[in-house]
Amino acid sequence: MVSQLAIAAVVGLGIGACLQKGRFCFVNAFRDLFAYKDTRVTKGVIAAVLVTMVFWGTAYQLGYYQGFWTPGWGLTGLVGGFVFGIGMTYAGGCASGTLYRAGEGYVQYWITLLFMGVGYVAFTAAFPTLQSTYFASLTFGEGVSLFEISPVPAGLLAIGVAAVATLVYATVLGREHADTAERATAASARPATIVGTPIVGLQRLAAGTRAYAAGVRDAWADPVAASKRPWDPRSAALGISVFALLWFTSVSIVGITGPEARWSGYLLSLVGVDAGSFTYWGSVLFRGAGVGLTVDMVMITFLVVGAGLAAYWSGDFSLRMPRKRRLPNAVLGGFAMGAGSRLAPGCNIGNIYSGLAELSVHSFIATIGIVAGVYVMTHWIYREVGCAI
Amino acid sequence: MPSIDDVIDSPDELDDEAAEDLYEAADLTQDMMGEVCPYPQVEAQKGLQEIESGDLLVQETDHVPCTENVPKAVGDDADASVWRSGDGVYRIYLRKN
Repeated sequence: MVSQLAIAAVVGLGIGACLQKGRFCFVNAFRDLFAYKDTRVTKGVIAAVLVTMVFWGTAYQLGYYQGFWTPGWGLTGLVGGFVFGIGMTYAGGCASGTLYRAGEGYVQYWITLLFMGVGYVAFTAAFPTLQSTYFASLTFGEGVSLFEISPVPAGLLAIGVAAVATLVYATVLGREHADTAERATAASARPATIVGTPIVGLQRLAAGTRAYAAGVRDAWADPVAASKRPWDPRSAALGISVFALLWFTSVSIVGITGPEARWSGYLLSLVGVDAGSFTYWGSVLFRGAGVGLTVDMVMITFLVVGAGLAAYWSGDFSLRMPRKRRLPNAVLGGFAMGAGSRLAPGCNIGNIYSGLAELSVHSFIATIGIVAGVYVMTHWIYREVGCAI
Repeated sequence: MPSIDDVIDSPDELDDEAAEDLYEAADLTQDMMGEVCPYPQVEAQKGLQEIESGDLLVQETDHVPCTENVPKAVGDDADASVWRSGDGVYRIYLRKN
């Protein structure tokens, strides 16, 4: 237990610092993609998922893992994910973004966290009804990870999926390049072919990677100054993946809103509420082991601390008071995130990051729901200035 | 040899003196303290619609991601640079093209 607490501290501090330094924001990743076709953070998120997938697949194949998180799959992921996506876009921060910004000193995100807590409590109270009317009717199958059922060894499968994803990305990149080249020269030559496009994309990917590596080498020349500057999301992605591997081999997959929902029950039990008597807290979240402090709750607490320390080191920490007119964002956005993450179940980290990285069928559906929610809400927020996509 | 700044594609940084001089000469200032994403982006776009080409719009913000997001959001509409106070306050300078 002591060693697990030490690992929780290391992983929490590490992930928190990487999130803060990389400004690793899942709302930004999709919102700015839809609003401005800005893909910088999106690439960081995809890189983190793919690298983690290869790490976890390999660790699973070699037997170094503590189990998957695979809730039953069905429309719950789509509905809950959609509510969560709406909530996180309105709040201006996802489950992980809210935590690391709380660490940076944003009072607004502490309020968001509080109302996420209200969402967990409301869900817990409604759970017995929801179980029969919602989960029973919208869940179609047992949750499963493709790592478990694939005849291909998990490590190879992960590398294969990552390779296919890279090739698809290279094709998109190559096509974009061909489009700009065509426009620039206005020539009649057709540069894009079925084979040529991915190759052009892969070349550009390689050039981007070389530029990134050179940037990292440069940063090493003065590591202290570089550590104070913001990081490339790819650096943050690599860092997060390493800490997630440590967590996967010693505790579990990385989750945020699950531990937060446990925190809500635990805190209520401290003020005298019999949280264990609620089905959702008692038998689902704490699995009948009694309402108490669990190691994943400790980890996400250290995540806030890690983000705070990283922000302080970078000169980015300050106590920031919210605008009154943004309180609805924190209140309604937080509530939608709390309730939506339970309806799915899972937040952006549970589903987009960990769930895709462990190839959980449930998370593919939930990811679609979350991204759809961000898409709809982005269009609403930008209704006056317009969206690119 | 590309620097890390090329890789992360962040706007130019202003020193304290240049930041102060430009701030006083701004044609439009927007107080974005306490605002979080994506509202500063939306306000920057709206603000740029109000001013003339060559005019300067300055946003004062305490939200770190804005130093990158806002310049990205306005794209080719304006040249961007930022100033970091070092204690969590930032200014984003947008010169309308």
